Amino acid sequence: MAGDIAIIGYAQSPSWRAAELTEPQFLFPVITEAIERAGIGRRDLGFTCAGSCDYLSGQTFSFVMNLEAVGAWPPISESHVEMDGAWALYEAWVRLQHGDIDTALVFGSGKSSPGVPSEIFPLQMDPYTITPLGADPVSLAALQARAMLDAGKITEREMAEVVARSRRSAIGNPHAQVTGDHDVDALLGEPYLTAPLRRHDLPPISDGASAVVLATAGKAKEVCERPVWIRGIDHRIEVHQPGMRDLTTSASTRMAGEKAGVGKAAVDVAELSATFSHQERILCEALGLDDKVDVNPSGGALAANPVMAVGLSRVVEASRQIADHGKHRAVAHATSGQCLQQNLVAVLEGD
Amino acid sequence: MSDASQDVVDPNAPVVGMDYFMSLHFNEIICPVVRRYADALLEGKLIGHRCPKCGLVYAPPRGYCPIDVIETTDADEVQLADRGVVTNYTVVTPVAYYGQEATEPFAKVSVQLDEPGGALSLQDVLEIGADEVRVGMRVEAVWAPEAERNIDEIGNRSWGSAEGCIRGWRPTGEPDVPADQMSDKAF
Repeated sequence: MAGDIAIIGYAQSPSWRAAELTEPQFLFPVITEAIERAGIGRRDLGFTCAGSCDYLSGQTFSFVMNLEAVGAWPPISESHVEMDGAWALYEAWVRLQHGDIDTALVFGSGKSSPGVPSEIFPLQMDPYTITPLGADPVSLAALQARAMLDAGKITEREMAEVVARSRRSAIGNPHAQVTGDHDVDALLGEPYLTAPLRRHDLPPISDGASAVVLATAGKAKEVCERPVWIRGIDHRIEVHQPGMRDLTTSASTRMAGEKAGVGKAAVDVAELSATFSHQERILCEALGLDDKVDVNPSGGALAANPVMAVGLSRVVEASRQIADHGKHRAVAHATSGQCLQQNLVAVLEGD
Repeated sequence: MSDASQDVVDPNAPVVGMDYFMSLHFNEIICPVVRRYADALLEGKLIGHRCPKCGLVYAPPRGYCPIDVIETTDADEVQLADRGVVTNYTVVTPVAYYGQEATEPFAKVSVQLDEPGGALSLQDVLEIGADEVRVGMRVEAVWAPEAERNIDEIGNRSWGSAEGCIRGWRPTGEPDVPADQMSDKAF
């Protein structure tokens, strides 16, 4: 085992409602910036792993084109996950444990703008019983929010407070798409989109990318002044059929958090992929995060939701809190599937 | 109460299939460099970007050179020849899957363009049968008349397509280029 792995470079694109550039075109400067920030050469990278989704881009093997932004000639050692870039980070973290290479590049990217999310995402579900119902993310999240309300675990006001705080935190974040100072009563005065969700309880539709460079301990100390250490990382998945689990809790997040060691010491800041406002409560409860934790100082997924990059962007934002804002211990969370079906938790620390 | 035995599936029952037709809709913004390429096609011109470092020509322009990992701009734009050599081909024998309109075997070829270079893949061949296509064959573009040109099929995901403006490529009748000279240009 190579031991602790560090994040030594990272970068994000802006989050666009509809990017004019292609995915490889906007990945290009993001990857270059992450590598330059890491202070290593592109040719020094031992491994590359990407996360993206052909269904979003509407093209088979679209991830091959994304590799053009990496510089893949002479041939490189690379892999791809049809998942958020946070899972590509997990694969690269595992790869680095072998100890034969000392750096890896990870990136996630997606354009949600060309497609119709309510057409695409039902295809994630059981193809016989659920997909034909047209069960889209907003409808399923609304059922989850309703279950939360019925169980007395959250109120509509508290949901609106999450939105107001997230959008306010996002002011000044150059990677945020939705920002602003909102009055909670005004938010509650808006009509339902899919009850009990109002439009602001939903994430924006976003195009974007993020990238991270990882290094083994020896390499990180050699090239990086302030490495961000991955002290623990784990991911867990629950049953596919959302009707077969309690949607008001997240057992997989709780288990991943325990395995990653979230509770071993105080957490300063958490960047959570709470794609819908009510999910922040579920995640904080599952991870044991109390009021002292600064949750989503970037604005989180409610401010920018580039699907396939949004989870990796949580790792980037958490790293930034440590490297640039003097925080010591951070939690980054990514999710996949509907209603928090699969969850990844990473614990990050400064020196 | 229902009889539980009625729920047991008869192992000898025939397998029942289910049709599930779905469609996905995509509405894509054409990126600026492909937009310029498409506009040039309407004028009867092929354009590309030449990498200022390695000199490779990309058609259509991509806005970067993936070999040198540098961005390319309008300053790197070059007009390309509409004649070239077949470097590689595939003969497709169509099967009647949903949406397939072809019934007879047809060829899709890669064309290495004459100087300043560049290559287009998945091109149609006109005037000869699929069984007559060969590596090294010299070909020229058959442009649609200006009034009939369209860029409906040009998108970010169709690198190399000139569909709607170039109908295909026909043999020029010039002597073939020896096939082994194309061996490092197969793609």
